Amino acid sequence: MPKYAMVIDQRRCVGCMACVVACKTENGVAPEHFRTRVVETVEGDFPKLRMELRSELCNHCDHPPCVNNCPTGASYKKDDGTVQINRTKCVGCKACLAACPYDARYMDPDKGYADKCTFCEHRLKEGKEPACVGTCIGKSRIFGDLSDPKSAVSKLLRENDASVRIKEAGTLPRVYYIRKLGKAE
Amino acid sequence: MEIAITGTNAVTYPNLHIWDWRIAIYLFLGGLSAGLMVMSSISNLRKGKDVAMDKACCVRGPLIAPLILAVGMFFIWLDVERKFNTFWFFLTFQPLSPMSWGSWGVGIIIPLSFCYGLSTVPEEMRGMLKYDILKLLSAKLHPYMRRLAMINFGLGIFLGIYTGVLLSAFVARPLWNSSILPLLFLNSALSTGAALLIMMAKRPSVKLFFTKIDIWLIFAEIVIIFLFFYGHYTSTGPQRLSIMPFFSFTSEYFFYAASIILIWILFPLALVLKLMEVKEEHGDTLTSSQLFKMKLSAVMVLLGGLIIRLAFLYAGQLSRLS
Repeated sequence: MPKYAMVIDQRRCVGCMACVVACKTENGVAPEHFRTRVVETVEGDFPKLRMELRSELCNHCDHPPCVNNCPTGASYKKDDGTVQINRTKCVGCKACLAACPYDARYMDPDKGYADKCTFCEHRLKEGKEPACVGTCIGKSRIFGDLSDPKSAVSKLLRENDASVRIKEAGTLPRVYYIRKLGKAE
Repeated sequence: MEIAITGTNAVTYPNLHIWDWRIAIYLFLGGLSAGLMVMSSISNLRKGKDVAMDKACCVRGPLIAPLILAVGMFFIWLDVERKFNTFWFFLTFQPLSPMSWGSWGVGIIIPLSFCYGLSTVPEEMRGMLKYDILKLLSAKLHPYMRRLAMINFGLGIFLGIYTGVLLSAFVARPLWNSSILPLLFLNSALSTGAALLIMMAKRPSVKLFFTKIDIWLIFAEIVIIFLFFYGHYTSTGPQRLSIMPFFSFTSEYFFYAASIILIWILFPLALVLKLMEVKEEHGDTLTSSQLFKMKLSAVMVLLGGLIIRLAFLYAGQLSRLS
């Protein structure tokens, strides 16, 4: 059984937002909502500033608080490590939205269920990579199987100092970040 | 498809806004019901009770408690996005989800509490029950009233704690993620339950009995609120930041600062009023001024309970780990 994970190499992100567009198109994400986003943050004191571009999405955590807090079992962890939603079972109580430290979930305004990134589950079944990964022109998003030591994600994690978001939440995310920021200029 | 893709970020979507006043009302009514269950159980279990004289505490209180909870449930149902899917709550049990515990818990508490309410109706008052089935049930359950009262006491404590655990289980919301919050909500639930019974009771001695209980509860509540903020202030960065809306006198956070000021006015004032009440000489009937003071302090406690739920629910959604 694969252990899917994503590595985001922030050194290669150019902030083109193609991943955001690809995701919305592929998954028919409702207007004003996003399954993935590119957050732009500026650090430092003027004039010595530097910008960070950070792609954010569902972290498909190994200890997912959204799954633990779901009262109906609609949110569940699959054997391949991805966190998915059974939309039929979702009652729209919004507990998973409150539980997610990454604010990765939203309520579908038309259907009323909670929604989020699925790592493009339908594409994975066809042997394709997620839409955001396929469209990334800078090759900043890399997707693969952690249980395969030859996969691109395993190799990147071996060779780089990767981190995860909000580690102190103890959720054990499956989205890793390779972050190397230059000096403020 | 939008023409402009901006992404959701700290500027465009700064805070989570998922639960509104409907959930706050549910938490308040759930707590009030829990408090009423506990206090009415005490009424029926204590020595020297006189059902004919203490009808409000011994009979009406137990009958009203499940109704208040049912009204609270209606408000949470109003908040749920897929209202006709709520049966899924009862087709599974998720042991790690407080909401699953709550839905099953409330599903059990409402009928049991109603049975307890019916069991408290003495024979001479059964005529006030509208339907024959209720009269029959009341007669059958009456011999088990004390046992049902004990169970009801435990269920009331469970319900009072649950309303706090519902929020405190979210690691993502630093303001809520505290083991003190369930204690605060339980304390507030008991206090509001006692306050409602003070308003409902007819006999001065019963009113004074619950007033004395409420004095201890309000005192404990003030201490717990202080410890809650102190604990957050001395904790990690996100927890310290999470309480700042309560102490920021800017227009953005006016509601939170006002709420904490109101709480710090209402509870001590109610405490002083209650201390004055118990020190006064009381005859068989209360003077209008004594009644006014009792009712005013009870209203203050109820108002304080509602403000706590509203302020904590909204402020918790402003808080985040990063």
